[in-house]
Amino acid sequence: MISPIIHIHELSKTYEVTERESGMLASVRSLVHRTREEVRAVDRISFDLAPGEVVGFLGPNGAGKTTTLKMLSGLLYPTAGEVTVLGYLPSKRMGSFLRQITLVMGQRNQLVWDIPAMDSFELNRAIYRIPQADYRRTLDELTQLLELGPLLRKPVRNLSLGERMKCEIAAALLHRPQVVFLDEPTIGLDVTMQRRIRDFIAEYNRRFGATVLLTSHYMADVEALCKRVVVIHHGRLLFDGELSALVRQFTAHKTLVVQLEDGRLDLGKYGEVLSSEEGRYTLRVPKAQTARITEQLLADLPVIDLLVEDPPIEEVIERVFAQEIE
Amino acid sequence: MNYLRIFGLYFRIGAMGEMQYRFNFFAHLFQSLLQLGMAIGGLAVVFSYTHNLGGWLPDEVLALVGVYTLVGGLIGLVVYPSMEQFIMSVRDGRLDFVLVKPFDAQLLNSLQSVDIWRLIDIGLGLGVLIVALARLGAQVGLTQAALFIGMLLTGSAIIYSFWTILATLSFWFVRVENILEIFRSMYEAGRWPVSMYPPWLRFALSYIVPVAFVTTVPVEALTGRLGPHTLLLAVLLAAILLVLSRLFWKLGLRQYSGASA
Amino acid sequence: MTALAQLYLQQFKTTFATMVQYRASLFIWMIGHVLEPLVYLVVWSVVAEGGGGSAGNYTTAQFAGYFIVLMLVENVSYTWIMYEYDYRIREGLLSPALLRPVHPIHADIAENISSKAITMPFMLVVAGVLAAVFHPSMSPRLWAMAAAIPALVLAFLLRFLLEWTLAQAAFWTTRVSAVNQSYFVLVLFLSGQVAPLTLFPHALQIVAAILPFRWMLGFPVELLLGRLTPAEAMLGLLVQVLWVGIAYVMMRLVWRSGIRLYSAVGA
Repeated sequence: MISPIIHIHELSKTYEVTERESGMLASVRSLVHRTREEVRAVDRISFDLAPGEVVGFLGPNGAGKTTTLKMLSGLLYPTAGEVTVLGYLPSKRMGSFLRQITLVMGQRNQLVWDIPAMDSFELNRAIYRIPQADYRRTLDELTQLLELGPLLRKPVRNLSLGERMKCEIAAALLHRPQVVFLDEPTIGLDVTMQRRIRDFIAEYNRRFGATVLLTSHYMADVEALCKRVVVIHHGRLLFDGELSALVRQFTAHKTLVVQLEDGRLDLGKYGEVLSSEEGRYTLRVPKAQTARITEQLLADLPVIDLLVEDPPIEEVIERVFAQEIE
Repeated sequence: MNYLRIFGLYFRIGAMGEMQYRFNFFAHLFQSLLQLGMAIGGLAVVFSYTHNLGGWLPDEVLALVGVYTLVGGLIGLVVYPSMEQFIMSVRDGRLDFVLVKPFDAQLLNSLQSVDIWRLIDIGLGLGVLIVALARLGAQVGLTQAALFIGMLLTGSAIIYSFWTILATLSFWFVRVENILEIFRSMYEAGRWPVSMYPPWLRFALSYIVPVAFVTTVPVEALTGRLGPHTLLLAVLLAAILLVLSRLFWKLGLRQYSGASA
Repeated sequence: MTALAQLYLQQFKTTFATMVQYRASLFIWMIGHVLEPLVYLVVWSVVAEGGGGSAGNYTTAQFAGYFIVLMLVENVSYTWIMYEYDYRIREGLLSPALLRPVHPIHADIAENISSKAITMPFMLVVAGVLAAVFHPSMSPRLWAMAAAIPALVLAFLLRFLLEWTLAQAAFWTTRVSAVNQSYFVLVLFLSGQVAPLTLFPHALQIVAAILPFRWMLGFPVELLLGRLTPAEAMLGLLVQVLWVGIAYVMMRLVWRSGIRLYSAVGA
């Protein structure tokens, strides 16, 4: 039994937030009296990561993903519960611990703005005390994998958003960390760049065996990279397991796409009609009745083509969150 | 040693960032000369009505202007821009990037931004100081020079600790940049000999915003006016403040990280 | 007209709410604005004491009066718009202002006045404390106080228009701080903040009279202190009006070309 590289148990983080209403009177009142409220950003979550795993941490905005990541990287003290990474207590922020992890936050730059990325890399080299030979080797590999060649000499402010993100990621990996925390790394990027970065992460994990914890609210990121997902909402863990199991567990429906010659039929009696365009009808049917309804359609109508699909994963996730509230 | 290397890198980064705008050098040179000119001009107007300002001779006050400019340059070179960047990074979250690095966060935050144009002030200040000393015909022996440098160092340590304490406040309060302005105003007061201020102002400029220790006191050392009790006080204050500021910083960091108090 | 009045009222409410939020920074700001005149007050008091009770045509007590009043007049006329503009253009916050049907200067004036309406009471308290400590002497006259009202309004307008125009430099250069700093140094020296302008050598006094800075600050102060003859006051007001006119024209010209540049380069 390999000991987990990341261990979280009953982890919680609670905040106090001051509330205030608008208006002049409220402003004056707030001089004297401030009302406080408790917010449970993370509420007793537990999960472990084995070395080399790539796990997706899924949840809508404000679910507690970033807060959890910050507790894992030592930026935040937990309010309750245990967390160890690589055997360390992250909040102790020991040098030997920090040297083995990295944190990449989408849309937030650590690169110095006015100068070429290369010079920021040099800075990281000094800070992480990377030996010259290792630095060269890692830089070459990253340059090749991320196609950084022409980008390194340009001032960072002259790079496009996607190019900047690639350089940010490279800067974060120069010290070959064993644990990589990625917080919404593809946010704001175009589809092509998103795919390139996903491919890179997969390749990096394959080559260096790094453990990757990736937060995102893009399903595509998670689908492409993670066999295992952890779903969090309102600070609580909703699901921890394989993506396919998630789909299976939380879908009560399947989607039927039927192609017919006649585009003006009303198929309402077979299921919920989601759309109908030029003979191509999309129906939502209860999962248990899929076989029966399919039989019926094939028997009743001159079906040209018929497809049975799982609903889009976004829908599944929404369902998961919606269920949580009930 | 690594710290020096890192500072060197930040210096280089600061220089590179600025070198792209050639206009900058002349703009800053003009600005520094203008400020120095105005300081000396103010001095000239004041001394057209008197020969003695609270016991200080005109050229002694000139030496003070020199030290004032020199030290202003030193503070503006690293301390001020780094603290300013730190305060902003608390707000926009970039501080997280600093905290996740295997390097002492306080040191990294203190070095992270270098305004190379302050070298101009350092040079000008030194120049004015030398001219003033020459005019005074002052005998600057080895002891006085050593005391001067010593007081400059303790003064710098005091100022640095003071800045650290101020900047650390941004862990609790949001609009702390104004604090930088407060220092600027109070530093202005350091252009004149602190010894001539009314006692309460003298106290404020020594123990609340310790400008006196980095302007008046070093000049006193140079002109042989430095009393032993002032010397001792400066060294003691520097030591205490360095420790205090470090502790306060650690406290602020815990606050930021949400450690239960 | 009512739309404008609404804007100003709304701005006042917003500024008030903001300032209540950031109480600490208010306090800090005040220290800065009190300390500067205070330092010069002390310096000149020392000079006067050393010179047998007076320097130039000011006694120690009159110096105290000068700098305390200066502190208050400075509070009436000062702006921070140059810093604000640099920030705005860098952060791309200018576009929303351009889309409004009112000239953006109104929002800035409104913010400025609102902020001062809130800080003025505090400044008056501080002035009172300083008066208790330094025992100033002034000889105010009723007509001078009356004349001071338009003088203060004109001083504020002049300074605001001038600094607002200079703030537009942010359209042309990213390094506005150099412009800002040089300007402020000049203002400090030639507006009467370092010393009452009558203490300057004659040549400098002429320079100060020609430049607009005296009319932003030194002139209203001298007027309030009762140190000017009615003729001088009259002349001064005229010069103020003239300068406000010049500043206004400059403002419109610079704003127009700045906008053209901004739109050409792209938001």
